[in-house]
Amino acid sequence: MKIEVYDALMRRQASRRDILRGTASAAALMGVSSALGGLPTQAFAADDVRSQILKIPGVGKGSPTDADWQKVGELCLGPTKSNVKQGEFAGVELTFMGLNNQNLHNFLFRGFLKPWEAYTGAKINWIDLAQADYNARLQQSIATGTVDFDILEMGAPFEGDTAGKGLLSEMPDWVKKQIDIEDYVDYLKPPVGTWDGKTYRVTIDGDCHNFNYRADYFKDATLAKAWKDEGHKGEWAPPKTWAQVQEISKFLKGKKDPLSGSPAYGYLDPYKGWGGFGFYFLEDRATAYVKMPGDPAWLFDPDTMKPLVNSPGWVRAIQEAMDLMSYEPTDQINADPGTTGFQQFLAGTGSMVTWWGDIGQQANTSDTSVVGDVAAFDILPGSEDVYDRKAGKWVKAKDGINQAPNCAYLGWGIYVMARVDSDKKKQRAAWSAAAHLGGKDIAIWTAMYPSGFQVHRNSQSKIEEWVAAGYKQDYISNYLKSQFGSYNHPNRAVEPRIPGIFQYYSVAEDELAKGYAGKYKSAQETADAIAAAWEKITDQIGREKQLKLYRSSLGL
Amino acid sequence: MSTLQGDLLHTVETGSISPGRRFWGYAALWLSAAWLVASFLIQAAHDLRWTTFGFETWRPVLYAYFIWAAVLCVTRVVIYGESGKKALFVLPAALFVVSMVVFPLLFALWVGFSDWNLASPTGRQFNGLDNLRHMLADPFYFNALLNMVFYTLAIAIEYAIAFGLALLLNQEIVARKFWRVVFLMPLMLSPVAVGWMVGKSMLETRFGPVARLARWFGWENPSFFGDPLTAKITIMIMDAWTFIPFMMIMLLAGLQSLSKEVLEAAEVDGATKWQRFWQVIFPLMLPVSVTAVMIRIIFKLKLADIIITVTSGGPGGATDSVTSFIYREYRDRSNVGYGTLLALVYLVIIVVGMTGLMNLTDRIVKRMTGRL
Repeated sequence: MKIEVYDALMRRQASRRDILRGTASAAALMGVSSALGGLPTQAFAADDVRSQILKIPGVGKGSPTDADWQKVGELCLGPTKSNVKQGEFAGVELTFMGLNNQNLHNFLFRGFLKPWEAYTGAKINWIDLAQADYNARLQQSIATGTVDFDILEMGAPFEGDTAGKGLLSEMPDWVKKQIDIEDYVDYLKPPVGTWDGKTYRVTIDGDCHNFNYRADYFKDATLAKAWKDEGHKGEWAPPKTWAQVQEISKFLKGKKDPLSGSPAYGYLDPYKGWGGFGFYFLEDRATAYVKMPGDPAWLFDPDTMKPLVNSPGWVRAIQEAMDLMSYEPTDQINADPGTTGFQQFLAGTGSMVTWWGDIGQQANTSDTSVVGDVAAFDILPGSEDVYDRKAGKWVKAKDGINQAPNCAYLGWGIYVMARVDSDKKKQRAAWSAAAHLGGKDIAIWTAMYPSGFQVHRNSQSKIEEWVAAGYKQDYISNYLKSQFGSYNHPNRAVEPRIPGIFQYYSVAEDELAKGYAGKYKSAQETADAIAAAWEKITDQIGREKQLKLYRSSLGL
Repeated sequence: MSTLQGDLLHTVETGSISPGRRFWGYAALWLSAAWLVASFLIQAAHDLRWTTFGFETWRPVLYAYFIWAAVLCVTRVVIYGESGKKALFVLPAALFVVSMVVFPLLFALWVGFSDWNLASPTGRQFNGLDNLRHMLADPFYFNALLNMVFYTLAIAIEYAIAFGLALLLNQEIVARKFWRVVFLMPLMLSPVAVGWMVGKSMLETRFGPVARLARWFGWENPSFFGDPLTAKITIMIMDAWTFIPFMMIMLLAGLQSLSKEVLEAAEVDGATKWQRFWQVIFPLMLPVSVTAVMIRIIFKLKLADIIITVTSGGPGGATDSVTSFIYREYRDRSNVGYGTLLALVYLVIIVVGMTGLMNLTDRIVKRMTGRL
């Protein structure tokens, strides 16, 4: 290697290993004819693009705006340009249906796709939906055969409803190459995103609930002393089990928040429903008690489709949520997950919350967060014992603590509808738009900034990229460890992709609300009511078909 | 030119329609009707998979209906001449009602007696009275109905407040017009906005101004939606705040139209203020009051927006209204058949209840005003 080339690369912060790794780099380097001017630009363009976009606007410099999204979209057009000629899709109109949660999702997509539209000549029309309206709108479109959109933002749980009914367009090979599909973390690889062996999804998100806590609480000397003085066992430290979460939350009642001096609180349960999505948060408590290593089933019995939700493990989780209510902020019974995550934890109320990765992402990059660097992360707490459904009894956890991270919702993806397949130009345009949104470079940006999407690619685990963008090394190492630790956990609880899954969750939310309000005599009675309601849904949708899809989603 | 005997509108041209014109009129009418029926039958058979022949969507049947409706209107004149034009004053409105009310109602009946979960691969299946049986055993629905009774009873208090405000604004007070506008403002707000601004912001337990005020008054942990009774009362207050101005403005209009002579006569006769109100103003205002209360009841029975926004029916169904429950059943659980049946039953309850109530109030009003 010429010394001037090496120096130039060093100035670009490329490590020796990076330079020598991979045939692409080697091949590119073989073409060097002069120092930087002679370097094939494509080899390093990607790194250059990444370093540029990750400084838009820069971590700690406020929330990104539409201008930032457009800038990112423009800088990430490279892969599109290598597959599509300028103006190739002139005259093509596509309709995109997605969400408008917290002014993210479609808001970002609009910005990202604006330069794509200008380059390709295609035009995109938008259907924006609130989270709570999304399921109903999608189900209605599917059931009534009125699919009026070409590109869809959708979670994998709906793949049974859409791919299973032939409504999706199969991903062409050139898209797989453009988005580098092999880069996805293992749990988001097939069968997720596929149906009957065909690939349908451009993954843009990796959903998994992690445990977010306030590090300042656990470093506070006053609280540590009080913990000892009150005779609690062990050190004053972040909890590793749900039993510890309970103990810490009860201990904190009546204490002061170290950051604000307002009342201190422990764990924040979302007791109010959230269009079915609230049930994931009971799952967070339950998976440690019900997900046995080696047994993929934790929601339904894979032989009969009978609900497991009234088994002793689930009942314990419900009971613990009930027990903690009086130790949580006033009116917590009216807090949904949006409240616990954004209006409470990020706004400085409470010290522990489970959520998708948005919390860690927004703590430092959103104007709405006051917690900043005092936020810390871990995989979901575990349990010292776990209910073995096959043996019908509680057993001691093998490694001392049974942990089972809840892979809730399996991440958002971009799907192209089969209705574009009859028009090749339109089909290519739709897939090009999807590939642009799911591109490797855009993905690292969305993982770092408020977007509604979290890390989902192995290439997003490079700490130095996050640090270069402005994250603190300790903070981001801790965050990424919790994220990748959850995805790659051998006992992760993966959500089954069965039709109507949100109907089960929605009815469970109603029954839980009654249980939390004391309308049922016990946690067991509440769980039995949920199980009875789930049985009705299974019978209504069709037990045999559900059972078949459930078993298939578990890999049985 | 002749005039039809007994025809008060003095219709002309009754005898001038030629048989040929009548024939073509009937032909066009029957042809369009035949096309409508045929397209409906073809599409129904196709949808039921009895035949493979059919349209991709029901849109051609809709177009056939539009054509038939237009032909029906035109042929009134073609067949009946001048007298047919009279029908044109009512026919479009009647067809509109059939299209927008009667047809959807029939369609709802068709859906309501079926097992139709949108996630089900088998689609809609007729299930007889199963949904009705399910409803009779559904504690959530009966809980919501019971809540509606409480919500509706609260109208009595709302009415008293609205009457008081109307009396106040009917007086010669300072800046009367300003106060009238101010009191009307809540009515101009969308209930969803009220839900967010009042329920989720002003009543927020940590930083909401109302919660802070409550703390200042010594309520240590103010919670407006924490327990079932408080939550229900808070929802009632928010809804009342929005709609009291509606009753107030109707009552104010009634007060302003009262005969001043009657009021002055009562004053001259030495009636006290209370007597003037209770024995003169109140009975005279009864017809207006009944109208205001009836319309308010109809509004109240549709109560949903505030509940969906603020409590989602919680805690534990304490604030659920029938509409918010049906909304969840339909939207979150995609249970279209059952949700539709619940809505139909609620409609029947409302129609029967309102008819009974109107008869009752009519009798009461007659009895009370008859005393004057």
